[in-house]
Amino acid sequence: MTKKRKIVKPSASVLLCCVIAAGMLAACSSNNNGNSGTSDSSTPAALAGNGDNNQSTNKEDPVTIDWLAYNSFGQMTPGNTIEKMVSEKFNAKFNIWYIDSSNWVDALNVKLAGGEMPDVLLVKPDFNTISKYVDNGVLAPISEDTIRQFAPTYAKLINQYDLWNTVKYDGQIYALPAININGDYPTALIWREDWLKKVGITKIPQTLQEFEEALTKIRNNDPDGNGKKDTYGLSDYALPAILGAFGYPGISDFKNAGKGIVNLDYIQKNGKIQLAAIQPEMKDALTLLSKWYKEGLIDPEFITSENTGGYWADSNAFYNNRIALTGKGMYYHWRNQMNANAPDDLGGGQYQNLLKAQPNAEIAFGTPPVGPDGKSGTIKWGVNAPPVGITTKGAKDPRKVETILQMAEASITDYDYYNTTFRGVEGEDWKEENGNYINLNPKITSADATKKGISVFHMIESPDFNKKFDAFNYQFADSVKTEGYAPFPAPTVDSFTKYAGDLTKLTDDAYLKIILGEASPDSFDDFVKKFEANGGAQIEKDVNEAYNKMVGK
Amino acid sequence: MPTYKTHKSDMIFTIFVYAVLTLLAVVTLLPFLQIVTLSMSPAEIVNSYGFHFIPTSFDFSGYRQVFKNDLIWTAYGNTILRTVLAVTLTLILTFLGAYPLSKKFLPHRTFWTGFVVLTMFFSGGMIPSYILIKELGLMNSIWSLILPGAVSTFLLLIVRNFIHEIPEALEESAKMDGANDIYILWRIILPLSLPVLATVALYTGVYHWNAWFDSMLYIQDEKKQVLQLVLRHIVLDGDLAASRTETGQTNVNTESMKLATLIVSILPILCVYPFLQKYFVKGTLIGSIKG
Repeated sequence: MTKKRKIVKPSASVLLCCVIAAGMLAACSSNNNGNSGTSDSSTPAALAGNGDNNQSTNKEDPVTIDWLAYNSFGQMTPGNTIEKMVSEKFNAKFNIWYIDSSNWVDALNVKLAGGEMPDVLLVKPDFNTISKYVDNGVLAPISEDTIRQFAPTYAKLINQYDLWNTVKYDGQIYALPAININGDYPTALIWREDWLKKVGITKIPQTLQEFEEALTKIRNNDPDGNGKKDTYGLSDYALPAILGAFGYPGISDFKNAGKGIVNLDYIQKNGKIQLAAIQPEMKDALTLLSKWYKEGLIDPEFITSENTGGYWADSNAFYNNRIALTGKGMYYHWRNQMNANAPDDLGGGQYQNLLKAQPNAEIAFGTPPVGPDGKSGTIKWGVNAPPVGITTKGAKDPRKVETILQMAEASITDYDYYNTTFRGVEGEDWKEENGNYINLNPKITSADATKKGISVFHMIESPDFNKKFDAFNYQFADSVKTEGYAPFPAPTVDSFTKYAGDLTKLTDDAYLKIILGEASPDSFDDFVKKFEANGGAQIEKDVNEAYNKMVGK
Repeated sequence: MPTYKTHKSDMIFTIFVYAVLTLLAVVTLLPFLQIVTLSMSPAEIVNSYGFHFIPTSFDFSGYRQVFKNDLIWTAYGNTILRTVLAVTLTLILTFLGAYPLSKKFLPHRTFWTGFVVLTMFFSGGMIPSYILIKELGLMNSIWSLILPGAVSTFLLLIVRNFIHEIPEALEESAKMDGANDIYILWRIILPLSLPVLATVALYTGVYHWNAWFDSMLYIQDEKKQVLQLVLRHIVLDGDLAASRTETGQTNVNTESMKLATLIVSILPILCVYPFLQKYFVKGTLIGSIKG
């Protein structure tokens, strides 16, 4: 037996070697494919120059595009009205890719690694993926001249929002930036107005002192009238707004940071890109929060978040008469003003949920507290949406590049085209009445909408068209707009990918300990040193170098 | 009198055991009751704190949202088909593979066993598997979900060990009576292996009922996708619907919808499980202890 076993062992290891070798071969060959793709990609930019001719020659065979420049919530039924319209307009055929939207990145990566590629795709989850895709030979550079030639209005719009930096890598443009205009509206800060009135505060608090006064009264004066001292001022969702009174909040989302999801934002200070978490002003902010925590203004359960289930903007603590101040949601989640032209309008989803739980509740949109140096603001997402990239496969055919750019241009310049591709067919999916947009299928799911071809071809959301189309919504948004902090869209660097996870944990740990009183605010200095030593300094160095290289300094 | 005394202590013991087991059952059941209740409750109850074991008011919008989806029925069909096919195939292959491996006179038995065991520790990984499926032309076909996992090494070894324990004398006597190998396998080994095969069937069945990742990777056509993937979509799509910005967009109560989804997906397994459980326990024990 022992003899036999000795024979088996080497044969097993030989087999293992074979398996590993085969795996490596497969990986190598796919790499090679990628590389050859990139080297080819230098041609389309050159070829695109003589692309003018193609525009007039509409009689040509339609160009076929493998399309993934949309959120594939469902599988589009081929031959729908919208697809036909787009196909005719651009003399193009579409082979619509379907990637499971709930697991987009993984599902797509497998396909890309397996050697399949669409011609054009949405770069998700955000622009930071561009560098990875470029290194793996997925994305092709798009020359700025080509963009300005075929999509001049679009190019101007991106200039206006200053987004080109987000899609550059080694000084070249690798994707078409997209805009989410809601990212320009800071997250809301919501007060229980009926509680404020009950404790004798008629003016919505504006400074830090006024906040402290109001929250203390809410803690002590039993605003819910149940005879128990069971109300707190705020929980985790409103914390960034308090930090914001001192400067850019070091943690923009305590719930995510606690779960270990990377939560490190860049800011630009004195001409240099820095990490918000280690700015000295956060020490003052944490000192104040630790005092508030001691006085019971902060719900001790903030560590496990006020959202204990359900949609992310829901605040169970707010619905259950536990806290008086919440945040993180957007204006449209909490909208408490009804559209007179839409009779069945019940307001924002979270506002409705609050009323279902507390029928007599009243809310008010607050403004973030103004700190000692006059700073204030809540977090805003920033206007950059997932950009649209053209792959090395797509870039081989200049006609495809042109068509894609022309489609982007049409989304910005042609109101009817934009509405049809983004919202659906007029009279079927929506109608306009007295300048108001009425959704004819308000209960349609994203999957069903995609099936009909809605939001498949628009590529870029136009801020102006959005505001024109949904006027009431944005009028309301403007009426409650406050100061906001948006993260600085800095280029991705490898050191960030490497260290950001651990640094987020370190930051979360240090911040929570100070707030909970387990560490003195002076420990913030030690935290900063540790943060810098564990990769923070490296990230800041790399990101500044990369940024200067990108903008050509 | 002494008999009465022992009787009494017996009773105390029995009561104690029953109390502990009842408590255990309650602890196991309560979270389930909470989920059942919340799945049929309106938003204000779902969002409120505390325990909800008995529904006080009803709102079936969660279930309506789940069943409104046309895909759910085709997906149910796909999952049932997949499970039945996979269980059948796995049973046949596992049994036929395990029997020879259990025989000492199989040439190079140790090598073949090592060959099979090797796959337990090393696999190609996701991307090579994907390329393999693609090159085999299985993409978008139900076979891409069944064939890759048709033989589970772990289950094969359990069955092998089980058959190994069947006395050799049984086969020898059959041989003397003139039975050939096939006949022995069919009429003697198979009936004796039923408990372990039931275990294999149950393991495989549960696995295939719950699997979704392979369907996401290999199946492009929505109509061919399995239940768990479709349910996953419904849940995540609900999250998205609530985030839509348009005015007049109704808010889907995602939490009760998620819980309704959970109930819908586990109900069939829940109905079948009590009847199969005894095989489950028996088969696993036999396989593990004697192996």
